[in-house]
Amino acid sequence: MEAYLVAMLVFAGFYALMALGLNVIWGLAGMVNLGLVGFFAVGAYASALLTTKLLWPMPLGWAAGAVMAAAAGAIMALIVARLRGDYLAIVTLGFAEVIRLVASNEIWLTNGTDGISGIPGPWRGDVSPQGFNLIYLGIVWTAVAVVFVLLARLSHSPFGRVLRAIREDQDIAAVAGKPVLWFKVRAFTIGAAVLGGAGALYAHYNAYIAPDGFAPLLTIYIVLALTAGGVGAMRGAIIGALFVIALLESTRFLSAVIPGISPVQKAALREGTIALSLILLLRFRPQGLIPEKTRTKATP
Amino acid sequence: MMQMNIGRRGALLGAAAAVSSFAIGGRAFAQTQPVVFGALPPLTGAGGPYGPAMLRAMQGVVEQANSAGGIKGRQVRLAFEDDQTNPDAGVRGARKLIDVDRVQALMGTWASSVTTAVAPLCWENRVPLFTVSGADSITLLPHQGHIFRTQPNSRLQIETASKWLLGKGARRVFHMAAQSPFAQSSQEVMTATLGAAGGTVSGYIVYEREKTAFRSEVDQIMRSRSDTVMLNGYLPDVTILLRELYRAGFDGRRFTFAYAAPASVFGTLPNEVTNGLTTFQPSPDLNSPAFTRLKAAFGNTEVDPYSAQVHDHATMAILAAAQGGEATGTVIRENVRKISQGDGEKVDNVTDGLRLIAAGRAVNFEGASGPCEFDDRGDIRGTKFRYEVAEGGAYRVLELV
Repeated sequence: MEAYLVAMLVFAGFYALMALGLNVIWGLAGMVNLGLVGFFAVGAYASALLTTKLLWPMPLGWAAGAVMAAAAGAIMALIVARLRGDYLAIVTLGFAEVIRLVASNEIWLTNGTDGISGIPGPWRGDVSPQGFNLIYLGIVWTAVAVVFVLLARLSHSPFGRVLRAIREDQDIAAVAGKPVLWFKVRAFTIGAAVLGGAGALYAHYNAYIAPDGFAPLLTIYIVLALTAGGVGAMRGAIIGALFVIALLESTRFLSAVIPGISPVQKAALREGTIALSLILLLRFRPQGLIPEKTRTKATP
Repeated sequence: MMQMNIGRRGALLGAAAAVSSFAIGGRAFAQTQPVVFGALPPLTGAGGPYGPAMLRAMQGVVEQANSAGGIKGRQVRLAFEDDQTNPDAGVRGARKLIDVDRVQALMGTWASSVTTAVAPLCWENRVPLFTVSGADSITLLPHQGHIFRTQPNSRLQIETASKWLLGKGARRVFHMAAQSPFAQSSQEVMTATLGAAGGTVSGYIVYEREKTAFRSEVDQIMRSRSDTVMLNGYLPDVTILLRELYRAGFDGRRFTFAYAAPASVFGTLPNEVTNGLTTFQPSPDLNSPAFTRLKAAFGNTEVDPYSAQVHDHATMAILAAAQGGEATGTVIRENVRKISQGDGEKVDNVTDGLRLIAAGRAVNFEGASGPCEFDDRGDIRGTKFRYEVAEGGAYRVLELV
């Protein structure tokens, strides 16, 4: 049981990192990004390839994953600079699918739909499986803590205030003399870097990545995590990620104790319960569990 | 001070006693605890049409084993999770099965990506993994004998098909392959197999799956004077190719995987286009007693190959545990080959198997999917293949070999 709880906390850490990354792009700058799993995939593939093919050390691979995703984010931000709302959502969703298709088809680089296996993990094999779990728990939640502190500072800085202004009305921000595009590009880049870093960490924890793992399902979980936690609030992103994992996993045990239903009904009931909880949450607490505080302080 | 020291020691001693009594109690108790196996079928997602039947097949075997007295008197419990046909969800499900339910074997993973993602967890925790996934790369993982795969890998499938074609007189085979992980490996296998017997691959084109017209490709096929065209694709593109080959007047043999031209193809193409199309697929042993019984248990409806395979997964795990005398992952891994191959008495169900093993006799399990023999890498040997031909809007079985 402990091993399971630790593993789920590690997963919650990945989700928290992704929610934090999305929060910069969507929560602060107001750009809907349904392509976050694409940046996650770029980071995962970059680190996996560099550490397995070029034998880079893992921390360098992780950093490279973040940098590659950041570069992809910057380019993406320039392309979609003039899109807003639904249009932006569709284009970013398309971006994630493009990444997945490239990963499926460029077999010489990504090994296609077979995926990349045997990605090294820190001290994996030298310690017991549970020891590795605990090491990774430390790494992931340290990363969450560092990213949280940095992003919380960023969000309360003048930079963060400009992003919020752009989110509320970018024309007014422009009239106030703020270079809107430049701010958007930077927000997108920072968010994508966090997403890529999360992807890199994920690849080394699972030891295996394949295009199938970067399906839109994951994007939906993260968007839900952020919505549940509270869009815009950095603490909300972390709480939301923990909430989503708790919901995903607790429904396993809940549906198991209900007698007299078939396995398929259990599986369907489980997904239904998850959907219903989130609908209820959005209906009765649309601001999320931790609403954003718009009156900023000098320090987090 | 003294008093307190004794108190602390007493507490320590007491705690130690309590802990060890738990341990002893747990050990004594363990004999009556059920043996837990884990199933991880796709109940939702792309594998959703298959998962529920697979789970039912596994549960059926477990019920039979329990009414036959279980493994050395211990009842068997099948814990299951839905892998959602997604590696991320699959890993979380496997974590739950391994860490919470403490399963001694995991079975029924379907998608290759899920199997590959779950495999490291299995070998790290010394839990054998029985799978129906076909990707070649799976058994090449460093799994230390923990993976047993009942689905023939794609190399074996292509090799068998090429030999069958040679036997039917094919000499010049054109290979049309959709972009997929096994396009290139199929080509290598075909070139080697055909070349060794005087045949040749008369042309090889890899095309993008989303293409909607194949005029120039079909022209190349016509120019190559091939007697056979191997359509190594998927339903949408194979449908278009069949239509265009008919229009171009191709009169050679058209050969494809059964999944690329299921019976629904007769609804989209006229019979004169499909007539003569030959399909092949790895097949359960349709005439075996195990398959007949499974079919009866399913209410005489169609039994898919995956259900037949997982039926054998559950049976092998139970028999291996009984053979080894202890239901742990390592014991099961060591004993699967002892009960599935060799000179033992042939059995086709878990009840007979348990009875013979209890009587100290050697058994050789032959299941619903086939003879269930594994090579050193954990790949299945000697699967049967079924060849069918389209005639007037239906498939007729040509051969089951």
